[in-house]
Amino acid sequence: MNRDDTGTDARRRFGSLCESLRPDLLRFAFWLGRDRQLAEDVVQEAMLRAWKSLDSLTDQGKAKSWLLTIVRREFARSFERKRLEVTDLDALVAAEANVLAAEDDDGLAEMREALFRLEDEYREPLVLQVLMGYTTQEIADAMGMQQGAVLTRLFRARARLRRELGLAGESAP
Amino acid sequence: MIDCLELRRRVGAEPFTADADLEAHLVDCAACTRYRDELRAMDGMIARALAIDVARLRRSAASGAAESPQSRRRLVAIAASLVAGLAVGLVLLTAAPRASIAREVVDHVVHEPATMASTVPLSPAALAGVLAPEGARLRPGIGDVTFAARCVHDGHVVPHLVVRMPEGAVTVLVLTHRDLGKPLRIEDQGLIGRVLPAPRGSIAIVGQDLADPDAVARKVFEAVDWGV
Repeated sequence: MNRDDTGTDARRRFGSLCESLRPDLLRFAFWLGRDRQLAEDVVQEAMLRAWKSLDSLTDQGKAKSWLLTIVRREFARSFERKRLEVTDLDALVAAEANVLAAEDDDGLAEMREALFRLEDEYREPLVLQVLMGYTTQEIADAMGMQQGAVLTRLFRARARLRRELGLAGESAP
Repeated sequence: MIDCLELRRRVGAEPFTADADLEAHLVDCAACTRYRDELRAMDGMIARALAIDVARLRRSAASGAAESPQSRRRLVAIAASLVAGLAVGLVLLTAAPRASIAREVVDHVVHEPATMASTVPLSPAALAGVLAPEGARLRPGIGDVTFAARCVHDGHVVPHLVVRMPEGAVTVLVLTHRDLGKPLRIEDQGLIGRVLPAPRGSIAIVGQDLADPDAVARKVFEAVDWGV
């Protein structure tokens, strides 16, 4: 295989990788920032940074966590730049009503709104676990926390959702 | 032996966790069993809720982006950087060794023995939540699904199921990101199975002591409905 063939093949594989990961990254960014435009901007910017720093990815098996880390950093930069503050959750929910809607499934729309209203500190580890398939140790590494703290947040996140959705029939610890 | 408080703390953080201590407690505690099942069902709903339709997300964002010169400039910058950026460093990816599908599947199963611990069937909602992001569902009747979660595999998040069939318990990995030209055999580390080309990517079916792995794999394959 000559050099050109190698580069073309690699480009195709990396493009395919980005294409396959982009939906989950976009969903992750959306749930992180609760703003579809911000999510699209953050993921685009993250992809750009990824291509620029591709040589730092030496293990393709870690591409997803590598890209996710870039998205998290880019999201933090955006927040810092725009000094975004959430002051009105109702307005936030209304602004994204189109995305949160679930035809023929009120329960799903209700869950989406409950997730939307969950505090950042509980929502992010839950999204990493359920949507991105991270273990609690991987979440701890990504968020710079102890694993025990992650477990506590995940427990509280579910407890709050159960309360919010009226599912907490029994007392939970 | 763990108590109810400890069980609920652990299950509340990881509804699909399973080990001997948890199972021993659940055998004698109907309330905790109900709590665990409720949380698993809720996780199925959470997974479905989080799996927002990306087309809708991007359509909505695109309509907003049309009003944003900053976003347009960013798109142009990305296009330009794509050409330049891809030329740099991509050789690394090609040079990196990539394990075979069969080896990856075996490694995945071997490293998660706890997934085989539970014998309690999951609710249809919990199972649907795990498969929905792939646009798939499992038709009922093939066997009890006792584990279902979305796991990181080969850099992707994939559905991981344990299905207890009459022929034996099998692990199923739905690999929509891995296209396959022809079926592969798996015989490694005491596991036997097949990886079959699927309408989207491929699907791996492995177990232990399967008398007829081809028939089992075919049965699982035919039970997956890709039209969701």
